[in-house]
Amino acid sequence: MVKYLTEEWAKQAKQIVLDELDPKKDLKNMNAILLNVVQNVPPENKTVYFYIKFVDGHLEELLASPDEAIKQKQAEFTVTGDYVTFIQISKGEMSSAMALLKNRVKMAGNKMKALTITKPIDNFNACIKKLQTEY
Amino acid sequence: MKLVDVLEAAKKEAHCGMCRIDYLDTGVCPSGKSHGFLAYWPEGRVELARALAEKTVQPTETLLDIVKTCTLCGFCDRQCHFITQLRPMKVAQALKDYAATLKPSDLKHVPEDQILKDLRAIVGKEWATNDPNIIVSYNRSIMRPKTNAAFYIAMPRTTEEIVAIVKLANTHKIPYLPRGNGTFFSVTMNTLLSDAVSIEQGIIIDLWRMKDIQIDPVAFTATIGPGVTSFELQKAASKHKLRANVAEAESHVCANAQNLGIITTWSNTYGWSSDNVIDAEKIDQEGNVMHLSDLEVPNPYATERGLMSLSLIPNVIVTSLTVKLHPVFDDEENIFVPYEKLEDAIDFAENLAKHNIGLSLAILSRKYLTEFISPTHDVAEGFDQVAKQYLKLNYLVDVICTTNDRKYIEETAPVTFDRKMVKSLILGSAKLASMKDSSLLKMISEEEHPLKALFGGPLRKHLEKGLAASPKELAAVYDPDLRDFFEKVYSRPHMTDSIWLHTFRILPCRMERKHFWMYRGGYMPGDKKTIIRVAKALDDSATKYGIEGAFGFLSYLERGKFAHLEYDYYYDHTDPDARKRVNHAIVDSWKSQFSIPGVTPLEFICNKGLRRKEHILYPLAEGLSEEELTLVDDIVESVFGGEEKW
Repeated sequence: MVKYLTEEWAKQAKQIVLDELDPKKDLKNMNAILLNVVQNVPPENKTVYFYIKFVDGHLEELLASPDEAIKQKQAEFTVTGDYVTFIQISKGEMSSAMALLKNRVKMAGNKMKALTITKPIDNFNACIKKLQTEY
Repeated sequence: MKLVDVLEAAKKEAHCGMCRIDYLDTGVCPSGKSHGFLAYWPEGRVELARALAEKTVQPTETLLDIVKTCTLCGFCDRQCHFITQLRPMKVAQALKDYAATLKPSDLKHVPEDQILKDLRAIVGKEWATNDPNIIVSYNRSIMRPKTNAAFYIAMPRTTEEIVAIVKLANTHKIPYLPRGNGTFFSVTMNTLLSDAVSIEQGIIIDLWRMKDIQIDPVAFTATIGPGVTSFELQKAASKHKLRANVAEAESHVCANAQNLGIITTWSNTYGWSSDNVIDAEKIDQEGNVMHLSDLEVPNPYATERGLMSLSLIPNVIVTSLTVKLHPVFDDEENIFVPYEKLEDAIDFAENLAKHNIGLSLAILSRKYLTEFISPTHDVAEGFDQVAKQYLKLNYLVDVICTTNDRKYIEETAPVTFDRKMVKSLILGSAKLASMKDSSLLKMISEEEHPLKALFGGPLRKHLEKGLAASPKELAAVYDPDLRDFFEKVYSRPHMTDSIWLHTFRILPCRMERKHFWMYRGGYMPGDKKTIIRVAKALDDSATKYGIEGAFGFLSYLERGKFAHLEYDYYYDHTDPDARKRVNHAIVDSWKSQFSIPGVTPLEFICNKGLRRKEHILYPLAEGLSEEELTLVDDIVESVFGGEEKW
């Protein structure tokens, strides 16, 4: 069991994606850099940054940290929402697209490009859901 | 009577919300009026009965109050039967009989938790609840049934109370969702959109209590609260010889304005989206109160467009709206120009739209004409058959106009009829439906131009004479115990006055008498080629998946530069296979509409109603490429899940 959005969780999440997802078939050779801004993370209601970088479908970076330095990294898409919503997405109770549709998260970035990565991002979320996670 | 005996009837409940407005001058359900929560209204009582019959909810102590406050006065039967032909009083009786069999030990006690305590501190003890017997009454009209999640209903009276509720929800990190009369929810809840439009847990903010209306007859404006229905606003405006641009009678004006912008047959003249809005008070997701008129706010009128702009949940709650009202003229008349072919109807209507002829201007389908004005669905089907087979009457250019415009229309139209004929058709609809084998109709159908022969020649008098029917004769189609009542209803002049019916819009819910429906269509350039292409695309998607599709109505905007088409898919919402097919047809129709340049499907207008239409419509969409269209399937799967989830 690993604590959600910790460095250890990020390390394991990256490994499971690298082990289980095919860059071409599952991740559609996508090139995308996402920054998730997870607000109100307990116990201190801090903001945690969850950063993902794909190059040609290969997961190059997956970071989770309250360190604001992550914000300096260039992200194409920034998704902001509450910790509770990100848990729902992580558990597969709600897709990230549905969260966006229901105004549970806000997204900044090229929305037309975002359309092209909805499916691989779903596959990514489904994969990290398999981690035994403590929320 | 047992609950299982009324289960099938309860399943047909469509949640149209018409029982919450006094459109037949009977008064509304006294129990609902006093207690507010949906479970105390006919609509919610039916849903509660269904849940109890299906054993998806346990009876609670509140059930006894719900049945006790129902006096079986019969208002619900009259109102509901007029629109849907259902008899909810049987359900109310079954609920009473069921409650009488319960022992105190059968009743589940529902404890008050901290969130409920806080809600009650905000809205008052009697206006917030977590009682499952009340909660289930909101099934299918804002929440999905058979959920075990925690829900609360709060019925605020003021903006300040809503602000406090939003902040409370944020503190507890639970979702909230406002509810007007639930009409948008009820239509979409049976489709793949269900998850996207509904609330999965949290606080339902029922806005019914916020019914303030202030008319300023000098400024020609109305300022209303979010609980005010179209019917109520129109009634208040009409006292000053004014008219509001409103949707169907039961819809809440604030919610409708915020969501879809209120498109009507009057929109070529009165406008759409922000055209009619002077100011709006709204609460954002953090609980901040803003007004459209505030100087220091981000541009409230611009909006996103295209595939990624789909948003089916409001991100603000509109708590007050000031809208324009329009003068009613003494010389208004309703002129109808009947057509066999859509192309011909478009030619005529487009010309009127460009010349700004008519206050209300639309192309109505045969389906709408026959279904709206017929007292029962069987009569409507017979009438529809007669209109199609003998009269070749498939479309009507329907214009409400003043004297000068009337002259122009009568001089340029192939043939016309007015509201006197409509009155004859309403009162004589049952008779007309029964004339399927009449020699007169056969004779008319053999004419080269049956519509001209019927409405433009001496046959017209024969038809009027043949149809001559009294309210008493029409009322004979109703159940015997309701005939006296409906004779009186149809004796009131406004009930057969097509201008009043256009203004107050009490008839559209009749379209769900046999089968439920899902609206399709959207906004497009107003040229004939595009309109025909969209109508065909929507028809093709329906045919492909075995769904009954029918043209509803077409109205214009901006002197005919743009058009709005409603094309409906009818299906049995109690049949899982039919629901799957309609979902496939919805997705297919999105793709076909997005492939046509300039077209925006209706769902992609949702929650843009207060934006400027210029930001919604311009620049014209280019139409998605083949490659982009393949993304629609991915998005549908991402958002709505695969077919197994529908």
